[in-house]
Amino acid sequence: MKVKGSHVILSLVLLVSGFIVALSYQFTNLNSAANQTNGSQWREEDELRDQILMEQMVNRSLTEELRDIQNQLTEFEEEIVNQQTRYFNLVEDLDRLRMITGNVGVVGEGLSVTLNDSEYVEGENPNNYIVHEQHIRMLIDELLVTGAEAIAINGHRINSQSYIQCIGPVIEVDGHISFAPFEITALGDSETLNEAINMVGGVKDRLLSDNIEVRIEKKNEIVLEPYFSERGES
Amino acid sequence: MWLPILGLLIGIFLGLFTEFRIPDAYSSYLSIAVLAALDTLFGGVRAHLENVFNEKVFLTGFFTNIALAAGLAFLGVHLGVDLYLAAVFAFGVRLFHNIALIRRILLDSWFSKGKDRKETQ
Repeated sequence: MKVKGSHVILSLVLLVSGFIVALSYQFTNLNSAANQTNGSQWREEDELRDQILMEQMVNRSLTEELRDIQNQLTEFEEEIVNQQTRYFNLVEDLDRLRMITGNVGVVGEGLSVTLNDSEYVEGENPNNYIVHEQHIRMLIDELLVTGAEAIAINGHRINSQSYIQCIGPVIEVDGHISFAPFEITALGDSETLNEAINMVGGVKDRLLSDNIEVRIEKKNEIVLEPYFSERGES
Repeated sequence: MWLPILGLLIGIFLGLFTEFRIPDAYSSYLSIAVLAALDTLFGGVRAHLENVFNEKVFLTGFFTNIALAAGLAFLGVHLGVDLYLAAVFAFGVRLFHNIALIRRILLDSWFSKGKDRKETQ
């Protein structure tokens, strides 16, 4: 009995010590394993940090690129704006030039001058009592010099290439035959045009001295049709 | 004779395969407990060989040594002094001392046996 009791005690002690030793062994193993995982974790963290740095560098370069591109875009936009203003100016010029050449209809204030043959006096030379082409030319020259922007004779627009020719009792303007009374409408500053025509010793006086009836009328709105030559010639 | 070995095997088995975990902070206590257990075991073996083995002394010595070592380590941790090193040192010295005594006793018995055999022959 005694021997068996000592055996039991010994086995109990051995059990406890074995348990402790095994636990310690396992614990140490676990710790080293944990250390290893820590090491691998550290390495992973390092790699991830490297990746982040790489990404940041890439981001930085991309940002610079973006800034460059934005600058380029701004330059392009400015260029486009310049071009647009240039185009705008060109279109304005074109409009003005077209107005001068008579390719477009124009509306605005202006002056209307009507020339009419005077009453024929029996026994006189009838040539002295009708409107001649040179009268009209004189009037148109005066108006152009004064700054008229567009001129029409009896509603027929004239341009720099127009001709005015006398055919007996009528006048041909660009193949379009007109007869008295001739209404010459000029677009421009009506005040200036009026003064130019009414100048003492000027056009009006000379026309009157040639026995022509002159009626001058300032108008707030004159509509001039665009110039269309016959048979589509320009 | 087989009962203590069976106990040892069961203890190892339990320690290895139970999911019993100790927090990191108590790892030093565990190491000291291991040392105390080994010391007591070798002390017991020595006492047995010297024929002064007492179960009660052995049993109480085993548990009190473990408890004392753990308490010392606990105190050291809380005082900021590595007192568990003292326990490790003391147990280590005693371990070597006990093992040396065991070796000597075994050698003596071996040689005395050889002498006896020679003398009888």
